Amino acid sequence: MSKFSIHNLECIRQNNMLFRGLNFSIKDGDLLQINGANGSGKSSLLQICSGLIEPTAGEILWENKNINKYRYEFQSNILYLGHSNAIKAALTVEENMRIIHSLTGEKANIDYSEILNTMGMTGMNEILVSRLSAGQKRRVGLTRLYMAKSKLWFLDEPFNALDKKGKKIIENIVINHCNDGGIVLFTTHQKMEINNYPLQNIHLGNHDA
Amino acid sequence: MMPEYIKIFYVILKRDLTLTFREKTDFINSLTFFVIIILLFPLTFSTKSELLNSLMPGMIWISALLATCLSLETIFRSDFEDGSIEQFVLSRYPLVLIVSAKIFAHWLTFGIPLIIISLILGLLLSLSNEMLLAIFITLIIGTPILSLLGAVLVVLTIGLRGGMLLSILLLPLSMPILIFSTIALQNAALTQSIVAETYFLAGILILAITFAPVAAASALRIRLS
Repeated sequence: MSKFSIHNLECIRQNNMLFRGLNFSIKDGDLLQINGANGSGKSSLLQICSGLIEPTAGEILWENKNINKYRYEFQSNILYLGHSNAIKAALTVEENMRIIHSLTGEKANIDYSEILNTMGMTGMNEILVSRLSAGQKRRVGLTRLYMAKSKLWFLDEPFNALDKKGKKIIENIVINHCNDGGIVLFTTHQKMEINNYPLQNIHLGNHDA
Repeated sequence: MMPEYIKIFYVILKRDLTLTFREKTDFINSLTFFVIIILLFPLTFSTKSELLNSLMPGMIWISALLATCLSLETIFRSDFEDGSIEQFVLSRYPLVLIVSAKIFAHWLTFGIPLIIISLILGLLLSLSNEMLLAIFITLIIGTPILSLLGAVLVVLTIGLRGGMLLSILLLPLSMPILIFSTIALQNAALTQSIVAETYFLAGILILAITFAPVAAASALRIRLS
């Protein structure tokens, strides 16, 4: 049973206290939504949890080991997806997917067309990303969810720019991942239509969202 | 683990090379800039060939430095803008490896063309064979140092309206390279040995290869937080 927990986390950015004394602990199969108004520190929390930035105080443990001390061990277990899609406009969809796949370190061959199929982008392998719409770019960025075999997912606004169908696809992947024992932390301002899975919530900020 | 690292190095290298050749403007601009500066010197000075022979070393090196400042901007800029940097930092592979591949790609797409252009320009300006050889040797050792050193600085200055700041930082730091290279070229002009200067340059290169990627990787982490 793996466990991810944060203790007494505090984050101050530009002299602005975002949160303090934040504690929670999640385990296999947990799906956690982070709520809060704009600027309440949702993205910062995800960045801190993934080890991208260091908290002002407090510590983060993965399987009881501090993630900043056991950085590479932790990083081979996570998938982080920020606001930006981290794909290259001058490359084709498949070229981007190849690079993403190599960086995940998974050796097994992957059928890129099949992934694009499930993402609702059939036959778009050879199209330059610069020609795609915002929603399609987001989908290409989200193909990471199929390629990485990481256990712990940090998704920052995964549904941005996605249409209803796209949102449904991602919700399904997320639930499948949790059913397989994965852990997902995500932020969103959209209404989640997840009825068949327990969704946990934490709320950031004192002011009402 | 080792072959896997080599594979990742190759993947990133290929990615950056493809990107450079697809978005040609940056690549062509900095090289054109280099050629234009070199061609401006003979226009402003007398064209007597002895004079050119003594001025050419400094010309080539100063032009190379300025063009490097222009081209370095592009190493990490788009990766910062589209979030690729975050993915690199959080990948399961050492960041140093990825950064090294990116620096190597920069040298291949900037340093190598710059060397070839310098040699062609040297031929056009009818320099002696010893001079051409010395230009080749100092550039092939010097340009990777510029790429390595520049990568560290570009990471530190990116997003700070970095263009000017980068030049202000890089130009003084590259003085040792400039000094050894131009002395080597002056010696070559007098048909003397350039071995000592070459060794010094090579020493600086080894130092840069050892420390620059590590420094750039650490700077990247700091820049993100």
